[in-house]
This record gives sequence, structure tokens and C-alpha cells, in this order.
Amino acid sequence: MRKKLLLAGFSLLACAASAVHADHLVAIAGPMTGQYASAGDQIRKGAEMAIADINAKGGVLGQKIKLEVGDDACDPKQAVSVANAMINKKIVFMHGHWCSSSTIPASDVYNESQIVMATVSTNPQVTERGLKNIFRINGRDDQQGQVAGAYLADHFKGKKIAVVDDKSAYGKGLADEIAKAIEAKKVKVALRESITAGEKDYSGLVSKLKSAGVEVMAYGGYHTEVALILRQAQQAGLKLTVMGGDTMTNSELVTAAGANADNVLFTFVPDPRKNPGSADIVKRFRDAKIEPEGYVMYAYAAMQLFAQAAEQAKSTKYADLEKAMRGGAFDTVLGKLSFDAKGDNKLPGFVVYQWKGGKYDYVGK
Amino acid sequence: MALALQQLINGLTLGAVYGLIAIGYTMVYGIIGMINFAHGDIYMVSAFISVTAFTLLAALGVSSVPLALVTVLLVSVLFTSVYGWAVERTAYRPLRGSTRLAPLISAIGMSIFLQNMVQLTQGARVKPIPPVLVGGFDLLTVDGFTVHLAYSQLLIVVVTVFLMAAFTYLLSQTSFGRQQRACEQDRLMTSLLGINVDRTISLTFMLGAMLAAVAGVLVTVYYGVVDFYIGFVVGIKAFTAAVLGGIGSFPGAMLGGVLIGLIEAFWSAYLAPEYKDVATFAILILVLMFRPSGLLGRPEVEKV
Amino acid sequence: MVVLAHQAPSVAQRCKDAGAVAAIALLLGIPMLGLTTVDQGGSLLVATRWPTLAIFVALCFAGRLLARYAIDALQARARRRPAATLLRPGARHQLSLWLGWGCFGVALALPFVFSDNRYIVDTATTVLIYVMLGWGLNVVVGLAGLLDLGYVAFYAVGAYAYAVLSTQFGWGFWQALPVAGGLAASFGLLLGWPTLRLRGDYLAIVTLGFGEIVRIILVNWTALSGGPNGIASIPRPSFFGLPFKPGDDSATFAGFFGLDFSPLHRLIFLYYLILALAMLTNLFVSRLRRLPIGRAWEAMREDEIACKAMGMNVTNVKLSAFAIGAMLGGLAGVFFAARQGFISPESFTFNESAIILAIVVLGGMGSQLGVVLASLVLVLLPELGRDFAEYRMLLFGTAMILIMIWRPGGILSQRQPTLRHRAEAGAAP
Repeated sequence: MRKKLLLAGFSLLACAASAVHADHLVAIAGPMTGQYASAGDQIRKGAEMAIADINAKGGVLGQKIKLEVGDDACDPKQAVSVANAMINKKIVFMHGHWCSSSTIPASDVYNESQIVMATVSTNPQVTERGLKNIFRINGRDDQQGQVAGAYLADHFKGKKIAVVDDKSAYGKGLADEIAKAIEAKKVKVALRESITAGEKDYSGLVSKLKSAGVEVMAYGGYHTEVALILRQAQQAGLKLTVMGGDTMTNSELVTAAGANADNVLFTFVPDPRKNPGSADIVKRFRDAKIEPEGYVMYAYAAMQLFAQAAEQAKSTKYADLEKAMRGGAFDTVLGKLSFDAKGDNKLPGFVVYQWKGGKYDYVGK
Repeated sequence: MALALQQLINGLTLGAVYGLIAIGYTMVYGIIGMINFAHGDIYMVSAFISVTAFTLLAALGVSSVPLALVTVLLVSVLFTSVYGWAVERTAYRPLRGSTRLAPLISAIGMSIFLQNMVQLTQGARVKPIPPVLVGGFDLLTVDGFTVHLAYSQLLIVVVTVFLMAAFTYLLSQTSFGRQQRACEQDRLMTSLLGINVDRTISLTFMLGAMLAAVAGVLVTVYYGVVDFYIGFVVGIKAFTAAVLGGIGSFPGAMLGGVLIGLIEAFWSAYLAPEYKDVATFAILILVLMFRPSGLLGRPEVEKV
Repeated sequence: MVVLAHQAPSVAQRCKDAGAVAAIALLLGIPMLGLTTVDQGGSLLVATRWPTLAIFVALCFAGRLLARYAIDALQARARRRPAATLLRPGARHQLSLWLGWGCFGVALALPFVFSDNRYIVDTATTVLIYVMLGWGLNVVVGLAGLLDLGYVAFYAVGAYAYAVLSTQFGWGFWQALPVAGGLAASFGLLLGWPTLRLRGDYLAIVTLGFGEIVRIILVNWTALSGGPNGIASIPRPSFFGLPFKPGDDSATFAGFFGLDFSPLHRLIFLYYLILALAMLTNLFVSRLRRLPIGRAWEAMREDEIACKAMGMNVTNVKLSAFAIGAMLGGLAGVFFAARQGFISPESFTFNESAIILAIVVLGGMGSQLGVVLASLVLVLLPELGRDFAEYRMLLFGTAMILIMIWRPGGILSQRQPTLRHRAEAGAAP
């Protein structure tokens, strides 16, 4: 309801009493409820802001954009249900889903009904299945793992490195890539472990790391477990540096781990907030009391991508839109966005960040 | 050797928490023969209450750790026991005397309700508190590995042992304990003897909730991070502990809890931690194959 | 404590009663509604919401007052009615028979009425999957009286069997169906064997553990199951060899029947497929109930000792219930994998088992039609609830409790005596 009011507010501000057209319906989908609800929230905020901005400039092809929000709670079955519901509403573009395990089954449904989607799911499988309709606006776990692994091997010479994952599709994929990249540099992985996400007690893992003399842990998984592991390591008197993936951008990590968060390094695409072209958008987010962290700017960019592709194609029909996206280049808050044949973007890859005093920045800064 | 000692300490701590929660399952099962699936979520509610209480105390400037701990324990026990009472009154009492499965489904509904209620009112984000009890004893060092006993772990074990003693006294020596045990044996006969069965059952639920509340506070102190999902995982483990020890048996629940804590600690330190839960459940199945009523459970008498 | 006096209570009594409820609501509300913690730059601060709490307490007071009036009025009316109404023994049966055929008719016509609405067809497919699972579990829980909290394990075995057979060995849907069903049935025996001596709730936790074991193995056995990545690109069933693909030649479904290609064809085909599977299940189970084995299940549910005394082989009776229930779950799993095209262990958690069990119990243990109604309720509630966004699951939990309190025996119960006392049984059909 709040969302609808907000939207109504935005469109009232933007609307210059234009004639009633059938709007372009675009959709976002992700975990609006459940364990990962904070990511869904970021996506929604970014998309809402983008659509308000686009509509303020007159919309796309002379028509306004309207947003639909789908909640899949990161459950594959619900994701398929959301996909069908959205297709039924005749959306022309989908930004989502968020969890790779939701994106994969849902993308089959969108593909069948010919709907273009731009996702932030990082599992390689997302674009490896030959689907024409899917585009990825952020990086892949395998690229991410290579950057993280190479960094660890170069910067922590002579220290024992453990690789741990949480057995999620995302976490295991990332951890496997990191381990591979470390070993490619002829450095031995001291310990390869898996934990169960959602538990609270990781003292077993901590003891094991401690007795193996591990000082650096590469972790594939979500920030909540990292916070717990760090706290328990500190309690057990183990000083641990953690290298994680893009999920570590969540500021919950700092809230939960406290000062320990300063020991967290992670890989993420170059921060869109640092993009000179996006400075005024970042400012407007902050004015609206939204910190454009994590997936906020991605959702914004996805909407820009749709608007520009539709303008270039002069149509929102699937075939035109798909062709425009595959061939074109787009000016977004992420920088110049263009895609390869698989649908992966050609943006520069990942960089290593570090948390410091509640903020993250490129490592070493 | 040092690692084993460390895991013994970790396992006992974890087992004590499981045991405290398992008692809630066992007491409720003993008296009305139902699995209270919402019990894990009662524990989760208490953990949230204690986070709020700790934060409030910190804001009020209470700096004495023992004072803060005692206050939070009292506050959490008080409010959580009301939750225990309300859950029984609204979701289970109307189903008394119906089929055995009806309260089970109602309990699953209650568990979904409580999780989402907390998510809505307190937010989906994890709730951390700054470390309350910092430090501990370094027991010994072997080959550079120091065995560490944190104060919070000591606290958990001491509080649990104390509560065990108190509850054993309560159940075996007081008139409430006699009423409670009478209800377990024969509710109809007990009510004929002029004992308020409904009241006894309500009190049982409140006692179970109180122990869960203590566990909630201790876990908040120990791990420092709470979210609305913690009740589910711990609830399943504690329920397993109750069954392993023999459901309905008070010392059995504690024994089961400690055993499961130790299995988890040693399995994850020496073997593949990803199969930790498989090991727990496999041992449960093995034990039940040879002792169908659990370790300390009374064998069921087949009445014809 | 609420006193159900026969004479209407005075206003003061009513207010006192509602006041007590409001006091409890206040105690419950303080830590959850009144106080909350908010994240302020890395540390928590306590925020208060006293107005919200006040509204909540006031609502509880008013709600209790009104609810009591309503309940008292209903009870007074019920008392004025003739004390007992005898239902003709066959009337209930007749009614549920008509209702059943009605449901079947609606199910048959649904894709024609909503032929352009893929959301409705897809949701209806989901409902039918749960109907089939419910009917399968009904054999174990409803008929044989064995409490199974790990039914999802068999569902997973079926789904993974089809996924592996089709992606690794190129088997078709119809080839894999019986094999997966057989595999699931043997898992049923595997679970049944060590649990033969267990009763009631010991059985419940062992089955729960079994479900978890299967799930954890699926997560970790990457070579077979793809681990957490699951198995993607599972082939969809074809229409007796005709694939659902765009194309005009007679080798595709659309080309063969001279239709324009539409992705809905497959959706509708899948819908009829699960409808057929579900109806076969129904037929199979209803026939079994009339055979000695079905009678034996129900006898064992009522009194195991008496069964033993009569010389029945309880071991076989139990194992057959587990195996047949598991097989039906496995068949549903095969269909699920074929429809989703992608499966991962996340689809086979304990919550899934809980929902299936809830369908059986809410429907009325042992009632075939009840399972249909309960699946409708439990699948459609969260879907309709999408408009309530974050309140969706809260309402779902509340509804489960309320339905149970409203009808503790389930929506339709088969274990009722044929002579019924209207006043005590609530609303009779």
C-alpha cells in the first residue's frame, strides 16, 4: 500500500496532465519477505526512484512506466508463480529475480512468454543455458572468485588460508572459484569446509580454524554467518581476516559484527556511487534518506537500461527490445553498459573492498 | 587433545541450551501428549525481548553486568511466560479432547504466526547487542592451541545446572509438582480429585516458556546476534533432544540436549561438518531402534 | 477465565472479561509492539510505539466484547433449536459425492474458461500437485494413522529421480515415471523398516529426521544432485512425442493439430497431466480402501493391539502404507520436476512436509474430498494474500489456527458417526 501511495505521489509530481495512455508495465521481483528481505527492499527503492525520474522526463516512447512488485521470498516455486502472475499482467520488462535459484526456473517461464529480463543473480548458470531473453547487469561468481582468490594468494603470502562456504548455490559456487584461483597461484588451501547457514553456533568451525592455525578465511555465503563467525572467533581468541563476495555490502554485517567488521574484505563491482556520472543521483537518493548501497543502484540502472533500449528500438516488443539490448550500449549509473552474446555485461570486473568504521571502500584507501 | 577439550566445552554449552528448550517440549508432551511446534518460536520471542531489554538498560546507563543480567532475565522470563500462556490458551485449549493431530497443526500455524509477527513488529534485519560478558579463562595450551573457556559459557552451564536442581525440587517436592505429575498420569481422575487441570496445564506451559526465556537470554549473551528465524532450527534440535532422552522424561531432556550438543561439537570438529545433522538424526534413529522410548523414557505399557 | 453461563452475562461482566483480554494484550504487546530496536549507525537504539500499542489494546478490548456478544447470540440460537437433528445416514455421503463430481467438473472446464490466463492455470496446477501429495500422505496418516513429518523426502526422491534420469540418461517422462515411483516406494520401505516398533510421536521425529537426512544428502552429493545448484534444464514432457515448440511442421504439437503456437499449450497440457495423475491416485486409493489392505490400514489406525490379536501381520500393513504413500509422493515429485524444469534442495524443506500434513489434517483425516478443499485453501490463501504483501504469511498462520479451532476434525471428516447431534458438532452441512 505504501508503495502504491509513493508511486502515486511520484506520478502526481511528474504528471503534466498528459492524456491517459496504457502505461508500460515493468516489474521487479525478489525476496520482499523472508530471510533476505533487506535485499528486496533495496531493489524496490532503486526501481521506484528510477521510474519516478524517467516519468518526470516524459516516460518512455511518450508513455509512462508503471512498476509491479513480485515477492518470491527466494523460494523457487514461488518464483515460478510470480513469473506467471507478472506475465499475466502483460509486463514488458523484468528486473529480477535476486536469488539465483529463483532466477533460473523463472527465466524459463519468461523466455517462453518472450519477456526480456535484467538480473543481478551471479550464478554462472543464469546466462549459461542459452536463453536469449536474459541479461546480467552485474558480475558472475566465477569472475568474482578469480579476483578474490588472486588477491588472497598475492597479499597473504605465507599465511594459512581456509575456504568455507554455506552450501547455498551462491556460496558454494563462489567458494569453489576462490579455491581454484588460489591453487592456480600455487598456494595451498589449508582447509576446505562447509557450514549450515541459519544456525547460530559456529564454534566447531572456529576451533577447527584455530587448531589448523588459519588466519585468513575466504567465505562464500551471506553476511549474517560471517558476523557470527567473526564474533565467535574473537571470543575464542582467534584473529581472523575474512574475504567474502558481493553479499558483504550489506550494512547489517557491521551492525552484527561490530568492530570485527573491519577485518572483512570483499569483492564487488566498482562502486556505482563513485561513478562521476551518477553523483547527482546518489545525492538525490541520500536526500530521500535512502543510502544507495548494495542493489539500489543496480535496480536504478536496470530501469535506465529498459528505457534506453526501448527508445533505441522505438518499441517495447520482445524481439525489438532484445535486439536493441544485445547490440546497443547504454548510459547507466553503473557506467557504459553493453552485453556479450550470452547476455553477460562487459563492464570492468570486480574490485576488492574493505569495511572500515562502518563504511566500505576500495582496499588500501 | 586440546581441540577435544575445547569442543567438550563448546558442546556442553550448546547442549545446555538445547536441554533447557527440550524440557519445554518434554513437559508439554508429558501433560497433554502434543508436540508444541511453537516452542522454538517462544524461545525466539524471548531472545528478542532480551535484546530490547539489554539495549534499554544500556541506554539507561546501567553498567553493572550482574545487575543487567538479572534484570534482563527477570523481564524476559516474565513476558515470555505470558506468551507461553497465551499460546496455550488461544491455540491449544480449544482443541483439548479432539484428535491428536489437531493441536499439532494448530501449533505449526502458531509457529508461522509468531515468526511473521516478530518479523513485522521487530523487522527482518538481524539484531545484535554489543558483547555483554567479555573474556574468559585460558585453561591450557598445547602446541600453540589455547583452550578457552569464555565467561558466557561458564554462565550458561552454571545457570542450567542451577535451574535443573530447582526444577527437580519443584516437580518432586512441591504440591504443584504433584499436581503436574498427577495430570500426566490421568487427567480425568486428577480433575475428579478437585485439581484444576486447566490451571495446571497453563502453568506447565508457562514454566516451559520460562526455561525457553532463560535459554533465549543466555544465547543472546553468548552469540550476541538474534533474528526471527532462530527458533526453527533450535526448536527442531531441542525436540530431537527431548525424544532422544525419552519424551516426557525430565532428566532425559537434559541428557538428550547435552548428547546432541556433544555430537554436533565433535562431529563438526573432526568429521565433515556438512553431515553434522545427518549424524544427529542417524544416531537418533539408531537409539530409537533399540530403545523405542528413548534413553530414559518409560517403556509404554500396552493396555488392552 | 471465561465463564460460559447459560443466562446472558451482565454488561459489567462482559467488560471485565474484555478488560482481562486487553490486559493480556498489553503484556503481550509491550515487548513486541510497544518497544522495538532500530539500527542507528551500527548500534541499536530503543524506539517506542505507544500509540500503536494503545490502538492494539483497544482493538483487542473491542474485538473481545463483540466476539463474546456474537458467540453468545449464536449459542442462544443454537439452544432454541430442536435439541438434535438426525441426518439421514446416507445424506452426508451423497452430498460429498456431488461436491466431488462438481469439483471434478470445474477442474475439467477450468483451462477452457481461463484459456488466456496462465497465472490461473499455473496456480491450479500447483493446487493439483498438493492435492496429489495430500492424497498420498493421506494413505500414511489418514488411513494407517502413522504420523509422517518427512513426507517431502519421497517427493524429493521422485523429483530428483526424474531429473537425473532425464538429464543424464535421456529418459522420457513416461519412462521415468514408473521407475521414479518404484524408487520412492523403496525409500518408503527403507524408512518404514527401522520405525516399525515406534509409535506416535517417536515416529514423527524419526520421519522428520529422515526428511532432513535426504535433503542434506541432496545438498552435499554434488556429483549426483548438483548440490545446492540443483539440476536445471530438465526436459518438459511432450504430448505423446510431440514437443511444444514453435514451428509449422507436423513434428510439433502446434503444427500437428494445425494450431498457432502458444506457450499456453504446454501449460494446459501440464495441467491436464497432473489432473489425470491426481484422479488416478484418487481412484487407486479409493479402490484400495475397499480391499482388505485398506481395511487393515484403518483397523490398525483404530487399534494396533487388537489387530495383532486378530493375527494380522502388522509389519506388512505398516510397510505397505509407507511404500504406497511414498510411491504417490514420488510420482508427484516427477511431475513437479517436469513442470519446474529446475529443482534444488530448497524446494524440499521441512516446511513443505508441514504444509502437506496440514492439508491432510485440515481436510479431515482420511477424507479424499477434504484434501481437495484444504489444498485449495492452503495454496490459494498465500496467493490471494499477495495483495497484503508483508502480512501474507501472518494471515496464513492465523488461518491455520482458526480453521483448526473451528473444525478440529478437519473441514470434512470421515470418522464421524452417521448420527449427529447438530448443536454440539457445529454447523452441519
